[in-house]
Amino acid sequence: MSPTTTTEASAERKLARRRGAGQRRTSLFAHGEPLVWLTGGALALAVVMILGLLLLVLRQGLPTFWPSEVVQVSTVAGGVHAGEVADVDVYRPEAHVLDALPEAVAARARASLAERDGLSERRMLRTGNYELTGTHYTWVSDFELAEETRPEWILVVERLENGRFYGTPRSIAVQGTTTEGDAQLVWDQFERHHDAARERWQVKRELETVEIGEVNRLIEAARLELREVELAHGVDSEPWRAAQRELEQRTHSAEAEFQRLRREIDALTEAGRGSTLTLVSADGASTTLALEEIVRAYPANRLSTAERIGVYLSRLAEFLFDEPREANSEGGVFPAMFGTVLMTLIMAVLVVPFGVLAALYLREYAKPGAVVSAVRIAINNLAGVPSIVFGVFGLGFFCYIVGANVDELLFSAKLPTPTYGKGGLMWASLTLALLTLPVVIVPTEEALSAVPRSMREGSFACGATKWQTIWRIVLPRALPGIMTGMILALARGAGEVAPLMLVGAVKLAPELPLDTHWPFLHPERSFMHLGFHIYDLGFQSQNSEAAKPMVYTTTLLLIGIVVALNVLAIWIRARLRRRFQGSQL
Amino acid sequence: MNPDPNSPRTKRARKTRTTRPSVKRVETLARLVVTLGGGATILAVATICLFLVWVVVPMFRGAELAASGEVHEHALSAARPVHTGVDEYRQLSWTVFSDGALEVHALAHGQLLERSLLFDGVAPTCSAYNVEDGSLAFGFADGRALLGRVVFATAFAGESEVTPELRQLSSGESRVDGAGLVERTPEGQLRRTQLELQFDAPLELGTPLVAIDATSLTNGVAVCALTSEGQLTLNAGRKTTNLLTGEETLQLTRCVLPYRPAPSGAAPLAVKLTAGGDNVLAIWRDGRCVRYDARDFEAPTEAEVLDLVPEQDATVTALDFVIGKRTLIVGDSLGRVRGWFRIKPDAAETRDGARTVCGHEFALEASPVSALAPSAASRTFAIGYGNGRAHLVYMTTERVLGTTSTADGSALATLALAPRENALVARTADALMRWDVECEHPEVSLAGLFAPVWYENYPRAEHVWQSSSGTDDFEPKLGLIPLVFGTLKATLYSMLFGVPLALLAAIFSSEFLDKRLRVGVKSTIEVMASLPSVVLGFLSAIVIAPVVQGLLIETLTALYMLPVALLCGAYAWQLLPQRWSVRAQGWPRFVGIALMLPVGIAAALLLGPPVERLLFAGDIEAWLHGSHGSALGGWVFFLIPLGAASMALLSGRFVAPYFRRISRSWSRASCARLDLARFALSVVGTLALALAAGFALDSAGIDPRGGIVDTYVQRNALVVGFIMGFAIIPIIYTLAEDALTSVPEHLRLASLGAGATPWQTAVRVIVPTAASGLFSAIMVGLGRAVGETMIVLMAAGNTPLLEWNAFSGFRTLSANIAVELPEAVEGSTHYRTLFLAALTLFVMTFVVNTAAEIVRQRFRKRAFQL
Repeated sequence: MSPTTTTEASAERKLARRRGAGQRRTSLFAHGEPLVWLTGGALALAVVMILGLLLLVLRQGLPTFWPSEVVQVSTVAGGVHAGEVADVDVYRPEAHVLDALPEAVAARARASLAERDGLSERRMLRTGNYELTGTHYTWVSDFELAEETRPEWILVVERLENGRFYGTPRSIAVQGTTTEGDAQLVWDQFERHHDAARERWQVKRELETVEIGEVNRLIEAARLELREVELAHGVDSEPWRAAQRELEQRTHSAEAEFQRLRREIDALTEAGRGSTLTLVSADGASTTLALEEIVRAYPANRLSTAERIGVYLSRLAEFLFDEPREANSEGGVFPAMFGTVLMTLIMAVLVVPFGVLAALYLREYAKPGAVVSAVRIAINNLAGVPSIVFGVFGLGFFCYIVGANVDELLFSAKLPTPTYGKGGLMWASLTLALLTLPVVIVPTEEALSAVPRSMREGSFACGATKWQTIWRIVLPRALPGIMTGMILALARGAGEVAPLMLVGAVKLAPELPLDTHWPFLHPERSFMHLGFHIYDLGFQSQNSEAAKPMVYTTTLLLIGIVVALNVLAIWIRARLRRRFQGSQL
Repeated sequence: MNPDPNSPRTKRARKTRTTRPSVKRVETLARLVVTLGGGATILAVATICLFLVWVVVPMFRGAELAASGEVHEHALSAARPVHTGVDEYRQLSWTVFSDGALEVHALAHGQLLERSLLFDGVAPTCSAYNVEDGSLAFGFADGRALLGRVVFATAFAGESEVTPELRQLSSGESRVDGAGLVERTPEGQLRRTQLELQFDAPLELGTPLVAIDATSLTNGVAVCALTSEGQLTLNAGRKTTNLLTGEETLQLTRCVLPYRPAPSGAAPLAVKLTAGGDNVLAIWRDGRCVRYDARDFEAPTEAEVLDLVPEQDATVTALDFVIGKRTLIVGDSLGRVRGWFRIKPDAAETRDGARTVCGHEFALEASPVSALAPSAASRTFAIGYGNGRAHLVYMTTERVLGTTSTADGSALATLALAPRENALVARTADALMRWDVECEHPEVSLAGLFAPVWYENYPRAEHVWQSSSGTDDFEPKLGLIPLVFGTLKATLYSMLFGVPLALLAAIFSSEFLDKRLRVGVKSTIEVMASLPSVVLGFLSAIVIAPVVQGLLIETLTALYMLPVALLCGAYAWQLLPQRWSVRAQGWPRFVGIALMLPVGIAAALLLGPPVERLLFAGDIEAWLHGSHGSALGGWVFFLIPLGAASMALLSGRFVAPYFRRISRSWSRASCARLDLARFALSVVGTLALALAAGFALDSAGIDPRGGIVDTYVQRNALVVGFIMGFAIIPIIYTLAEDALTSVPEHLRLASLGAGATPWQTAVRVIVPTAASGLFSAIMVGLGRAVGETMIVLMAAGNTPLLEWNAFSGFRTLSANIAVELPEAVEGSTHYRTLFLAALTLFVMTFVVNTAAEIVRQRFRKRAFQL
């Protein structure tokens, strides 16, 4: 209750008491109660929508990794499906669907439909088994349901390819020895040997990507050297021949190394070949899966709550620290998270010093006048310029002009393949730095102007120079403003997507922009970004239904990062403000 | 500020205090770094706009024609030049004469390379040349027809294979070598170019031929030919390859077109065959043109007769197709050039439903048109006149790119544009001239970008954005208006939703909300301002759009039911005894208000289906599609806001003052009951008004469908307006709330002290004082909405449409940039047009924001003065 309303109301109450109820001065109409309710409704609606949105994302994003139970349903048409319930919905079945059912069932279905106004409930089961059925999801309407069970031993198998598999274990072969029959036995065997198989697979992947990548890198480096010599001295010159020989030699040794790695990989593949798990799907088809291609498997209907939490945490860890699988719709978002963080950090390193310099210049050094206030208005307005415009500028200026020139000067050997002449981490960071410049300048300037004049004058009176005053007195006091600006810039940069689509964010980056090869940070590489990940998964994905839970979780992560940064900014501002408020006296 | 070392006071001190040099150096350095760094940063910001302009400007530069060489020669034969061509590298030029002679020139050297009589001296009676594929067709008096093509055979020669003179050529130089030309390319190779004419085996098309034209098809060729006896035939040739010998043979099938001689008795000037080889045009000198439709090859018909030069006494002097062979350009003796193409109008009076219309006209000179030279790359063409002048024009936008003329004003007999549009070659009676042309973006003009343009085969001039397609001769249609329109549509619908909500919410939270709640509510909404828009876009596409589609009528009803529920709540609240309502004026009232929202939504869910049955014949999507139901129901539904507004006006103007008068001595409870009755009456009145107006409009035969409502698609303006309104609410709310709370407290207190209620204070004192601040908040929100990318990209469907329909999609400038720029080739017209789109956005938002900023500063000053 605002104080003004209270005083007014109590005054009115006193008046009313003195004069008796019939003789009020203020008419009821003057309170405009209905209109106040309309304004209140607008505020309530805004708040409800915001909270609703957050709740929706939480509701959809949090349970993504929860291993739900697997139901097995058989339909009256004779189909058997097993899977996790992904969605429930009410719909109006078309007449021909009912006509296709057997007579007795159709009659029963019609009766039940008539009871419910022609509506029926249906469930979407994530049935998986893509290589058998050609689909990941199946709708099952309630009226076509014949039987529903929860088989004890049905396994949920997450694989490297083709999505999930739902089936009961029949047999397992480990290095050629087969265990068959009892599900419990097979499962025990699986648990015992799965980790080893996965480890083997990890080693193999390491060899395939890192080691062979290293060999390729060496050959590529030698080829580039040759090309550089060619550009400097021409074809068929003496240094060229030397470089040519060098290249041949290196290619030769690399070839040997490559063969060695190949043999190692083949040996591992051979070792893994004998380890398989055979599963029987709900409709009786059996499939054999290589043990090493199984990422995770669990008997969904046998899990205790603790085990469920275990699966949840294991999936969460995979989400946060692993690479994506299956066209980004499974696995983790580590590269995207890494790209977002790295890009935002580089952006902050670029934007904060320059933003502070610009604010210092405007507030402390430039002569105040029409020009400076015009510049100030322009910078304020820059915050309102659409982000896509910055993206256009970044692409046209940084990538195509600056980048192309850098390529010509430093990387001419690689041309026509562009090094810096395309979108990349560096250009994305620079573009976003420009975009967030006003976010830093405006609060910094405000903070600078909020430093009391008396403090500067005191400093000057003690004999300090201008810079000493700024460095020792003004800047420390303006620090909260600068910090706020920086954090808000970080939040803005982390959430911005539109310009990144033009200057370097990609669907799938083969390499992280930071690795163990000189010069460690590779600012020319394209990178993955959480926001772009959401756009790509939610909007461009082939199997959008399967990608949905992933998008929600990624969204949750992104909102979490951005909101956390914002709350941090608000908190720091409030805290430092309070501290300085005391000293101002 | 430094203490002066010479002043008497410091002298008195034991030690002279001076500033250490290191401090001075740091001082200078700091000043330098701050000035440079700060200045450079500000400059960098300014470059953004300048850079966009720098990329866009070259697009509007016209063509530059620079004379670069002339060959004078005495005509070797009296024959007239018929066709001229140039090679891709602007090195060689060829001319075919009416007597069958061929001349090849090296342009840079002015040298005649070759002169020969083709066809063993037999003069052809008619010929045709198609610049697109370099194909030639000749007809002879003996009924023979020869099809061929001009080939510039290029070969790269090794250094050791050529003569020493050639070896010494430096980059860019060329030298005549026999009948060919050798040039050193910038890459350092030696390229030899020689012209070759290749002819297929002769065809027998009937004797004697007077006109011929050929068009290549995907698997063969189509030839139309006219004999002097008046037999016009269309011959479709299918190429078959002998698998053993690899020899290609042409199998001809023939149909005879229903040709009638002209009333004047003259023979046609030419016959022309359109793309696909299914329409034949016979053109007479006086402008008469007959089109035959041969899509049904077995039964060709005469489709229409038209007059290409309606002016009296004017005659056709030159004609050709532009690239794609769909538009015929016709030059006449009065110096006019017209572009004719076939359209499919709604009501065609011709037999095949198509009509040939004149879409473009150029009247540049008063001298007869003597030559036309279409480009092989775009719809650019050159016009040559009898007075020696030549214009380079672009057909679709009717833009004149450049002009030049011969030195002596002698008539241009033939013209040719180089395949890359970088040279123009002209042939007069005794000279060959070459101009270097620089014209990178012929297809763009300001009018073409922002005014309706009549594209080939479109029924009328239209605003179209269609930047790419699969076919080679496709013309990009770069009209920015549909995109600007989409941007405005998105902005309008989101402002319609967002602005009232944000402003009303700001008024409530600054004037009526409990203080403890206010902090929480405000910071929640502020944090939401930084919510990534990609999240909102994703939610709108995945969640909101399907839900709205599934519950369309319920959603629309909710737009009405939410305010109604809130008002009902308010009237019920008024019925409470004053003791209670005053005590509960803080957060309990807000909770009460919030509780009315679910009530409103529940009412909408309940009322939706009956409303749909009653007003939209049971299916609103089908109704919107226009397939069933009468217009009345829709009118009633969509006129309710208008009815409500007029009812509010009426009751505020007439009923309320009367009530106030009579109720002066009434008890509060009876006032409240009276107010409730008035509200109920207003609701009924609103419905009655909507019904009456709807009935009137319906009986006048006006249908709302086709205007602001039409066929429903899932990703539409309603959804975008909803979610983008949601995106701009935080920013408008924050700024508006700041403006309202910064109204000086003494104004508020004075108003309340004078006996005004809080509502009266808010409406009559606070809001007017803060009006400019509120306006600036709206403007900033508008700027945000104009440039928002991710939401429209994901939820607007991205079809560039020009309709106000709230239920259809659109494509905005920003989304268009995001979709197309990654694919645009750097420096191309498309690329620069997208930069123009970005510049447009930049300017739009910059103007809006500057206006907002100036208004805000004035507001601050005023609030300060108060």
